[in-house]
Amino acid sequence: MRAIKLLFALVALGLYGDTSAQTSEIRIIANPNVDASEISREELLRIFLITKTSLPGATHVEPVLETAGVSNELFLKEYIGRTNTALMTYYRSLMFTGKASIPKSFGSDAEVAEYVAKTKGAIGYVGLSASTARVKTLKVR
Amino acid sequence: MMHSISKSVMLAMLFAGTGMLHAQLLDFTVDGKPVQVHGFVSQAFTASDDNNFLTMNTSAGSFAFTDFGGNISVELTDKFRVGAQFYDRNLGQLGKWHPQLDWASGDYKFKDWFGIRAGKIKTVLGLYNDTQDLESLHTWAILPESMYPLDLRSTIAHIGGDFYGDIGLKRLGSLSYTAYAGLIPDDPYGGYVYGVKAYGFNVTTLGAREEGGDLRWNTPVRGLLAGLSYIDADSQGKGTEALGLPDTEHTKKYELSQFYVQYVLGGLRLDGEYRRTFLDEVTLNSYGPYETVLDNRAFYGSASYRISKWLEVGSYYSRFYLNWRGTLSNPDNHIYDKVATVRFDVTNHWDIKIEGHFMNGYGATDAFQGFYLQDNQQGLKPNTNLLIIRTGLEF
Repeated sequence: MRAIKLLFALVALGLYGDTSAQTSEIRIIANPNVDASEISREELLRIFLITKTSLPGATHVEPVLETAGVSNELFLKEYIGRTNTALMTYYRSLMFTGKASIPKSFGSDAEVAEYVAKTKGAIGYVGLSASTARVKTLKVR
Repeated sequence: MMHSISKSVMLAMLFAGTGMLHAQLLDFTVDGKPVQVHGFVSQAFTASDDNNFLTMNTSAGSFAFTDFGGNISVELTDKFRVGAQFYDRNLGQLGKWHPQLDWASGDYKFKDWFGIRAGKIKTVLGLYNDTQDLESLHTWAILPESMYPLDLRSTIAHIGGDFYGDIGLKRLGSLSYTAYAGLIPDDPYGGYVYGVKAYGFNVTTLGAREEGGDLRWNTPVRGLLAGLSYIDADSQGKGTEALGLPDTEHTKKYELSQFYVQYVLGGLRLDGEYRRTFLDEVTLNSYGPYETVLDNRAFYGSASYRISKWLEVGSYYSRFYLNWRGTLSNPDNHIYDKVATVRFDVTNHWDIKIEGHFMNGYGATDAFQGFYLQDNQQGLKPNTNLLIIRTGLEF
């Protein structure tokens, strides 16, 4: 009985985590060729799980990650709901079964911003202090 | 000598190296097309108290549990990718170092909701059927044998085609589907072909055609996934029986249904799966035609928790019933398995697992699910305690 109560509590926590408004300390960035100016949480999640590879106005989008760091932790916690280890395991499961390649990942905000700026359809995330002069910022709705 | 040591060190660095090494060596472009190369290897030591398990001499301690594989994939366009993977293993008397083409496919994604794969394709079935060989992806040294038997891998891949897609449901989450049809290739080094030899049967060909599908719902509750899978198959086998006379077998009905649920929250993961396999098979040989009807049931529940980047603990409880219509409490009709695991991630690409199995029952000597007559000629005991220490590298 206690186990069932615990399970319901965990599920409730999951629901709350998905719908509550949170103040983001990161910025979602995209290559300027991506027409969209905003993106839903659901679209962002599906893009980073590689089940969605297009957006209106962009025939192909690709996720770009940071390998570690504060921006990465905040992004995974707020938008993906998986630890870095769990997300890498997920990508490897796709790669080792022939379903997708592992997305590009970089060690810093600056490297992510630089790659997103030069790669059509790239979507990534950086901290608020990172330079975003050559990329566009997507509003998350 | 020094040369071979330095080669080993370089290989270890390649496997266990940093992300930078990974990025430079294994992710590159050829003529502007992105190419990725990856691989994996695992080695285990197993020891049991009485019964020998998985065709190994586990009662004396065995290292005969090795597998490895590698793949290459190329994104030819934004929508079209091709790739292939080989796989090889030696598991006691199974595999015997015969390399296989694990998968090789072309994949064209027209839209998010519609794509096609063709070639040899890993079969999507339940939570882990298509990834069961990838040691590094799982908490466990071995997945629940009731659901993903290491010795019976007939459902692991098919040669044919898949339709697949992902449909966003906005606030209701998303639905992912896969539908497929194809041929199941022969597995001459698998548990069935090995197991029937104890009864004097020599299988020369064994294959099947199958159609099936998988539907999974990523629910609006973050981390909660639910799904179902179904396979309808028609299996054909040929060989000789104990007297050396022809033996053929074919299925009148072969159906598999699986239901699953998964919940992930931070480092916590809970899995539950249930499978029913219904088999109605006709055998023709000198003993006359006879029909075998089996209604297998299997289920498990598991919980794992990642305590830190380098440490994960978990436990699962699994049950397998060879014949749901038989006496379920008999040790020759069931296998119950209580498991506890500790996983250490030494680096991002190297793990070590220590796992204890506490099993009751052996599911009949012709169930070919871990316990075999020829490996247990002293007779099978009702209980088996098993230790597995497994390490894996991937890049």
